[in-house]
Amino acid sequence: MHPSPSTHRIFSPTRLWAIASNTLLELVRQKVFYFLLLFALVSIGSSVILVQFSFQQQFQVLKDVALGAMSIFTWLLAVLCTAMILPRDIEDRTLYTILAKPVPRFEYLLGKLAGVLLLLLLALSLMGVVAALVLYLRQQDVLAGILAHTAPEDLDAAVRELKASTFTANLIPGILLIYIKAAICAALTLLISSFASSPVFTIIVSVMVYLIGHIQPIAREYWLNQLPAGTIVPPLIKVFLGFVALIFPDFQLFNLIDDIVVGAAVPFAAFAQTALLGLGYTAVYTILAYLSFAQKEL
Amino acid sequence: MRIRTALITLACLLAFGAGRIPIENHLAARHGAAGLNTAQLDLSLRQRIGQMSFLAALSGFRAVVADLLWIEAHSAWERTEWGRMKLLLDTVTALQPRAILFWDNAAWHMAWNASVAAREDRSQPREALRIRNQREYFKAGEDFLLRGIQNNPSSALLHERLGLLYQDKFRDPARAAEAFQRSAQLPGASQYVHRFALYQLALVPGREAEAYACLKALYQKSKQEHLPTLLRRLQDLEKKLSVPPDQRLPILESP
Amino acid sequence: MSTAPTPSAPAIAIHDLTKVFPIPFKREVVTAVDSLSLTVAPGQVYGLLGPNGSGKSTTMKIVLGLVTPTKGHAEIFGRPCTSVDSREAVGFLPENPYFYKFLTGSETLHFYGRLCGLSGRKLSERTRELLALVGLEDAADRRVGGYSKGMLQRIGLAQALVQEPRLLVLDEPTAGVDPAGSRDIRDLILRFKERGITVLLCSHLLGQVQEVCDRIGILHRGKLLREGPLRDLISIENQTELVLENASPELLADLEARITLGGAKLLEKRRPQTTLERFFIEVTTGQDPR
Ligand SMILES: Nc1ncnc2c1ncn2[C@@H]1O[C@H](COP(=O)(O)OP(=O)(O)OP(=O)(O)O)[C@@H](O)[C@H]1O
Ligand SMILES: [Mg+2]
Repeated sequence: MHPSPSTHRIFSPTRLWAIASNTLLELVRQKVFYFLLLFALVSIGSSVILVQFSFQQQFQVLKDVALGAMSIFTWLLAVLCTAMILPRDIEDRTLYTILAKPVPRFEYLLGKLAGVLLLLLLALSLMGVVAALVLYLRQQDVLAGILAHTAPEDLDAAVRELKASTFTANLIPGILLIYIKAAICAALTLLISSFASSPVFTIIVSVMVYLIGHIQPIAREYWLNQLPAGTIVPPLIKVFLGFVALIFPDFQLFNLIDDIVVGAAVPFAAFAQTALLGLGYTAVYTILAYLSFAQKEL
Repeated sequence: MRIRTALITLACLLAFGAGRIPIENHLAARHGAAGLNTAQLDLSLRQRIGQMSFLAALSGFRAVVADLLWIEAHSAWERTEWGRMKLLLDTVTALQPRAILFWDNAAWHMAWNASVAAREDRSQPREALRIRNQREYFKAGEDFLLRGIQNNPSSALLHERLGLLYQDKFRDPARAAEAFQRSAQLPGASQYVHRFALYQLALVPGREAEAYACLKALYQKSKQEHLPTLLRRLQDLEKKLSVPPDQRLPILESP
Repeated sequence: MSTAPTPSAPAIAIHDLTKVFPIPFKREVVTAVDSLSLTVAPGQVYGLLGPNGSGKSTTMKIVLGLVTPTKGHAEIFGRPCTSVDSREAVGFLPENPYFYKFLTGSETLHFYGRLCGLSGRKLSERTRELLALVGLEDAADRRVGGYSKGMLQRIGLAQALVQEPRLLVLDEPTAGVDPAGSRDIRDLILRFKERGITVLLCSHLLGQVQEVCDRIGILHRGKLLREGPLRDLISIENQTELVLENASPELLADLEARITLGGAKLLEKRRPQTTLERFFIEVTTGQDPR
């Protein structure tokens, strides 16, 4: 037997893009954008109910709510969309027709994930723009008030204070971390769904991992004995804590936005390391998802 | 087959965990040093805010939970429920220790609003008790500011507010002067805090000479500093220190 | 991508293939394919027949690398079917195919074309050509979500053909397709055969299988019961059929007498009937087949 020479390439960006863009299209046409509408309403709504507060307080609450909403909506989109994509393709047997073409399984998986990540990018950017717009409009409102009621010598300081309390460049690393956290959750959900038999199961497990991931640092600290002197942890509990610390991701590390909103600045090196760690998580989960998917009976 | 894959995945996750935990530990310490993620979310907090809010606060919605409690504190204020308000403010600041706004406002509510209400509380017939309650709210305000400063050592605003509290409520010029002086040395300080510090220093028994020297330096720096309070303090000090008339500054008697 | 057949390697070679599915939460297993070996030569049209659940679809999925065999192996043009490049020149139409609802017919073909490395003008032309071939020009810009079963089958066939494969694997290509469409598909398969494309198909419409296949295999409970060239398998060696037109009763009586004289035996005398299929097509000819 002499196989004819193959022109097939193991990895092809065009195929990857074909799958990713198709996935994005699929998700966009699925009314997920009602989420975003809801987001806009939440941000705008919260600014309306806060009129009795000083403008600093208004802006702080507005930013907290907007960024909190961005964080939760991006995460929800990541989990819900990713939990759906594999089961739907398997159920509709579209997966058969795709994998019967010369498409390696990892390319398919990567394409699907890339589609979700593109969607998240789109959604988060849109939410960011809406939030910035709402803040800007409120800022113009308040500015008019300041211009009318402030003595000229204090004007500069008042305007500076106002600008500092609305949308600042400080927020950007925080927003990027929201994205990275959502990307980790998407890869994690993909990993779970490569084992799971139903999307509901995937979603439940993914949400649980998300919640546990936020208390992972507590488990880690107890496990590594970084605790108040005198505390004694029984050995069995210690093994359990170690297991939790090793298996579950530390999502708390990506939660910097709460502090950033109130003015804390993230040093660039710390941000870069956190982002890299996030990339590492995403890569590892994706690779594991592939290993499981490669074995999967379709 | 699936079980084998699951076990391999688990093993990989454990190995990945072992690799990343030192990095995460290091990174968590780094964040802490930068003042990030310093809120103490402990069991007492859980008791105060309930299971759901605690879960939300843990999973990345700390700021939003704090805001909701803040709005609740605001309505407690409107209903003049001072005790409840203090509890809520304690929780809010525990959730958001980096929010200077919360510390500042919490202290103001305690020392300026609640204290006045306590002083004028008609349900408490005994004057002595009313005064004691009033002082307690002063203390509560001071407490918020001190904790706020502990969490945000470089906040000029909180030091300034602490100075004001000592000046107006405790009538303690020594501590007020010190707080103002600290504030003046921090970035973003108001221009007037240095002056305020000297005004208070002038009232501290035994430090009049020091205050006089500093105020005089300020006076000589520029004409813009010739504010009425400054002039009055200088004259008072000259009298107190019995500065010989020929060495006194050429200040016209205030009308 | 070359479409020239490789003469030395069979289009499909299946060696001792077994697939066992475990039944979840039970100790039992289902043996879907049982020690199956068969070879499909290039240019052949091979029909895989068998009752429901006999393992036809499973065999095809193994050949396409969608299912991993428990035992044995299979090759496509000499390349192991576990490697991705073995699928370079293969088109597959699964049973009851279903595509992305949100894409139109022509977007669907574009998508699959891009997966096969086609792009630009070439892909657009190919798409138009294929839509015409399967008779879906009018529905090209409608969402696949609104397609009927037969239309899905047609777009599925077009999708399988997008990269001009040398091997087509068709799982019940005419299921749900109306008789005219079914005949069109049969004609298409005959055309592929002329062009030297190898086809592996399975169908329950034995009449059609008989019309197009060179060779058939009959599966039962995963085992290959009979296998061979169609002509050899179904011809009855000692019988002959005569069909006469305008024969007078006298001629028939004469013939019958001669048959008995010659030592042969007349088994059956009947008036041939047109098939229902032919009748249906005659009635609906000229009408829009969709
Ligand atoms: N994924 C699977 N898990 C468990 N059993 C399966 C799976 N796929 C197929 N089977 C079993 O394998 C056997 C063969 O199925 P297969 O689909 O290959 O039959 P088929 O010949 O295509 O039947 P049909 O004519 O109905 O299409 C059946 O008993 C079926 O239940
Ligand atoms: Mg079948």
